[in-house]
Amino acid sequence: MALPKKNKKNINITPSQVQGHYPYGYNGIVTPNRREEISDLISEHGTMLPKSVLHADLDRGMLDFVQKDLRTSVSGKKIPVIDRILTLQRWGEFSKTWSFSDKDRNVSLPFVVVVRKPDVQPGSNPALQYTIPDRKQFHYAKVPTWDGNRKGYDVYKIPQPVPVDVIYDVKIVCNRMRELNQFNKIVLQKFTSRQAYTFVKGHYIPMILSSVGDESVVDTEERRYYQQNYQFQLQGFLIDEEEFEVTPAVSRVVTLIGGENRNSKVNDTITTKTTFHFDSLPPGTFGTKTKQYTTKVDLTLMRSSNVDSYDIYINGVWVNDSQNTGIPVMINPNDNVKVEIVKETSLEPAWILFQETVVR
Amino acid sequence: MAKKIPITRISKFFGSEDFSLEQDIGMEWLHGDMHFTMVLFRVDKKLSDVDDVYGESGVEEIRYHPPVEFNAQVEIADPQNKSYASGLVNQMEPGNMTINVYIKHLEELGVDISYGDYIGYPENETTIRYYVVTNDGRVTSDMKHSMGGYKAFYRTILCSFVNENEFKGI
Repeated sequence: MALPKKNKKNINITPSQVQGHYPYGYNGIVTPNRREEISDLISEHGTMLPKSVLHADLDRGMLDFVQKDLRTSVSGKKIPVIDRILTLQRWGEFSKTWSFSDKDRNVSLPFVVVVRKPDVQPGSNPALQYTIPDRKQFHYAKVPTWDGNRKGYDVYKIPQPVPVDVIYDVKIVCNRMRELNQFNKIVLQKFTSRQAYTFVKGHYIPMILSSVGDESVVDTEERRYYQQNYQFQLQGFLIDEEEFEVTPAVSRVVTLIGGENRNSKVNDTITTKTTFHFDSLPPGTFGTKTKQYTTKVDLTLMRSSNVDSYDIYINGVWVNDSQNTGIPVMINPNDNVKVEIVKETSLEPAWILFQETVVR
Repeated sequence: MAKKIPITRISKFFGSEDFSLEQDIGMEWLHGDMHFTMVLFRVDKKLSDVDDVYGESGVEEIRYHPPVEFNAQVEIADPQNKSYASGLVNQMEPGNMTINVYIKHLEELGVDISYGDYIGYPENETTIRYYVVTNDGRVTSDMKHSMGGYKAFYRTILCSFVNENEFKGI
């Protein structure tokens, strides 16, 4: 049976570039540029380690998000945002709202306020859920060190961040529908793709819009105003620098040894002495003695008696005589040394003494 | 200077002289005869050291204006017997305090009582209880706070008890 014509006959099984916008693609070895940028943001203006991200930082990130990304103006006038997370401390409220309060110290409409639900729940950030047990520390960076003597590097380790969900109610209170519309438009545009990001100490923290509720007071006999509640879930994480661990890794030691300028072998010098006797040699005549050496020595004349002059031959070759007294003669193992003297006129026996310094 | 509007209500029977007389009689009774004395601790919101995110201060970080003694009519509710954990960890503490203070008295002292300020009330020779202002009674538009509808002359201030974790006192 023939194959259908539309079947692919040439399938390229060579993997293509995973991230084509990088010059060489991501090959698992070279870190993509963008990832390096993000890493730099995390450790910017500090140590090689990331900075702590705790509850207050997430709250600040949320306030910044509302201030900047949900900034709303109507008729050229910005709707003020209370730039604090309101807490139980009563007197603190006015200190945050005095700039747009009336003479009764009530906040003037319109305004936007961010209220955090006090309970912070375990997180639903999918990147961090229940993957590593028991707060195990993981390699984060290797940092070169130099303490003046030792060159090495420290291994920085951190545990997996703790995912948390923080719920914020962002409320707009106003008197006009167009203010509501404007704020609503900005929020919905921002969350068209379900999530938006706030930026906390170099980390992009996602948040989603959970719900939009209306709490407007539209009563016949009461003061009327609009109040809408936008509930956001910030899918953050906690990084606590108290949990970081820095451990020294391999270090290389440069050891420099200084010493005195002297030959430490002097004390270990081994010397022997050999005396060549010429007892029966008549005065004024020549006499010879030989010796075969088994070690390497330097031969130096020490003393002599009734010797007018001498010559030294090594393996039959003249090497030294009485004119060069004091200059040692080097003897190699198995050399045959012949000492030839001319005796003085005295009838006393003649002898000549050599010191043999063993050369190592 | 803000515009001043003359009050001519019930002028046939009552005027500013009558208002002042009645007010002075009342103040003499309250301050002279009753003589309920309290101490007002006004929070210095400029000098207090507050947190950037929450605007909160620790007990030692709150700064106060100089304390001011003032007189007022005082009512303290029955102590409340509560618990923190569904019947466990019992908590017995004073009830809320309601004070009525002459507006003129505050003006003479040159002070204002604001939401969140602290008030000390000497319960006996050795114990001072401290309360935080939960309603500073700033708005006195109602008839009750006026003298026959002529003009408001006192403020009703609601306070709730605070422990040393919030305010240490003196």
